[in-house]
Amino acid sequence: MKKGILTGLLLLTFSAFGQDAEKVIEKINTKLATVKDYTVNAHIDADIPMIKIMPSNAKIYFKQKDQVKIESKGITILPKQGFTELNNFLSDKSKYTAVFGDSLKIRDIDTRLINIIPNSSSGEIVLAKIWVDQKNSVIIRSQVTTQTNGTVKTDYKYGSQLSYGLPSELKFEIDVKKFKMPKSVAADINKTSTDKKNTKTKQRTKGNITITLTDYKVNSGLSDSIFKDKKKK
Amino acid sequence: MLFKNTTNEFIKIVSKPRSYLGLGALTLLIGLIIFAMKADGESMVSFVTATFEQTLSFNGKLVNGNLIAFIILQMLVVHIPLLIALVTGDLISGEAAMGTIRMLASKPISRTQIVLSKFIAGAIYTLVITLWLGILSLVVSHLVFGAGDLMVLNSDGLVILPEADILWRFGLAFCVAYLSLLTVATLSICLSAFAENSIGPIVATMAIIIVFTIIGSLDVTVFDTIKPYLFTTHMASWRSFFEDPVPFDDILNSIVILLAHIVLLVGITLFKFNRKDITS
Repeated sequence: MKKGILTGLLLLTFSAFGQDAEKVIEKINTKLATVKDYTVNAHIDADIPMIKIMPSNAKIYFKQKDQVKIESKGITILPKQGFTELNNFLSDKSKYTAVFGDSLKIRDIDTRLINIIPNSSSGEIVLAKIWVDQKNSVIIRSQVTTQTNGTVKTDYKYGSQLSYGLPSELKFEIDVKKFKMPKSVAADINKTSTDKKNTKTKQRTKGNITITLTDYKVNSGLSDSIFKDKKKK
Repeated sequence: MLFKNTTNEFIKIVSKPRSYLGLGALTLLIGLIIFAMKADGESMVSFVTATFEQTLSFNGKLVNGNLIAFIILQMLVVHIPLLIALVTGDLISGEAAMGTIRMLASKPISRTQIVLSKFIAGAIYTLVITLWLGILSLVVSHLVFGAGDLMVLNSDGLVILPEADILWRFGLAFCVAYLSLLTVATLSICLSAFAENSIGPIVATMAIIIVFTIIGSLDVTVFDTIKPYLFTTHMASWRSFFEDPVPFDDILNSIVILLAHIVLLVGITLFKFNRKDITS
C-alpha cells in the first residue's frame, strides 16, 4: 500500500515538473513566434580542426516557419544544425517530453536545465538539453544530440533583440571526430610517411564556430521569393 | 653569337609541327575540363566536402574560376612534362638523327654555346607552354565561372583562401611550376645528348618521371631518405602556395633542389656534348 502511494506521488511530481518545464518552453515559443521574419548580418569565425578559413561575413534571411537563406560573397561555413531545427522541434509539444533538471549559473545568468526527450525514436533528434533564463524566457545554452550530426553545443548571447528572443552571438561547439580525409583526393607528395603519422596524433575532436549577429531587421515582411532562388546566390 | 644561335634554335622549334601539338593538346584538355566542370562541377566539389557535410554546411560559390584554375593546374602539371619532352627531347638527338649536327658544329660557335642556346630555346618554349596554361586556366575559367574564394584540399585538411588573397599565389605557383617543367626540359635535353634518335630521350624522360613519382608516392619509410632529393618530389611544390601559412622555407628548399638539378643536368649535357663524336 505504502509502495503504491510512494510511486503515485513520484509520478505526480514528475508530471508536475514536466508541466512546468513545458510552460517555460511555451513562453520561449510564444516569444519567438512574434518574429515573423528577419534579416541579419553575420560575422562568422570558424575554428575547426582540419579546416582553415578566415573570418567571413554573410547575410541571413529567415521567415517562419523554417525558411532560411544564407547569402555570402565568399565561402562561409556554418553548422549543419542550429538555426531553426531546435526551435522547430520545440514548437511542436506532441513531439517531446520536457523535464526540469538542475539549476546552473552561466555567465552570471541563473539558468534552469530542461531535458527534452523525444517521444519517437525515429526522429533526427535523440536528446536535447536546454538551459533557460526563465526571467527573460530565452535559451542560454543548448546541447542537441542527433542521429547523423553527433552532439552540437550552442551558447547564446543576447543584446538589443532580447525582447524577440533573437541572439546577438551564437557559439557552436561541434563534434569533428567523424572527419576523415579522402586519401585519393588529399595525396600530398611532399609529405613523408613519418610526417603523415605525426599529423594523425595532433587532431582535435571539437570545433567552434562563433557567429556574431548585428543589424537585425525584424518583421520587415520578407517575400517568399527570396528563399526560392537558393541555388542562384 | 649565342643570341643569334638561340634565335635560330627557337625558329627550329617553331617550324616543327610537334611544337604546336603541346599547345593544341593543352587547349583541348583545358576546354574539356572547363566543359566538364560547368556540367557537373557541383557534384565533384561535394565529393570533396562530403566528409565535412555531415556536420557543416558550406555556403557561397564553391565552384568558381579560381577553383577551376587550381584543378586544371593540378591535373595538367602531371601531364605537361610529356608535351615539353616531346619538343626538348629532340633538340640535340634530332640533329644527330638528321645528320645536321656536323654542320652545326662547323659554325663559328663553341659546343658549349650550342648546348646553351638549345637550352635557352627549350626554356623559352617551356615558358610559352606555362604562360598558355596560365592564360587558359585563369582567364578562361574566370570568364566562364567568375571569381570567388578558393577551397583547397590537402592531407592536413581543407584550406579556404579569400578571393583577394589568391592572385599572387597563382602568380608564384606558376613560377615554381615553370621551374619544375624547366627541370624536365633540361633532363630531356641532357638525355638527348646521349641519344642518336628522338624517341629514346622522350620515352626515357617520361620513364624517369614515372619511376620517381611512384617512389615519391609510396608510403613506406625505406624511401624517406631519398624522396627529398628526387626532383619529382618538388614538382608539386607550387601547391604549397595554397597553404595557410605558406611554407616559404619548404618552397625555397624545393627551388634550390630544382635549380641544383638544372645546373647538374646542364653540366652533364655540356660535358657529354663537348666530347661527343660527331664525325661518324
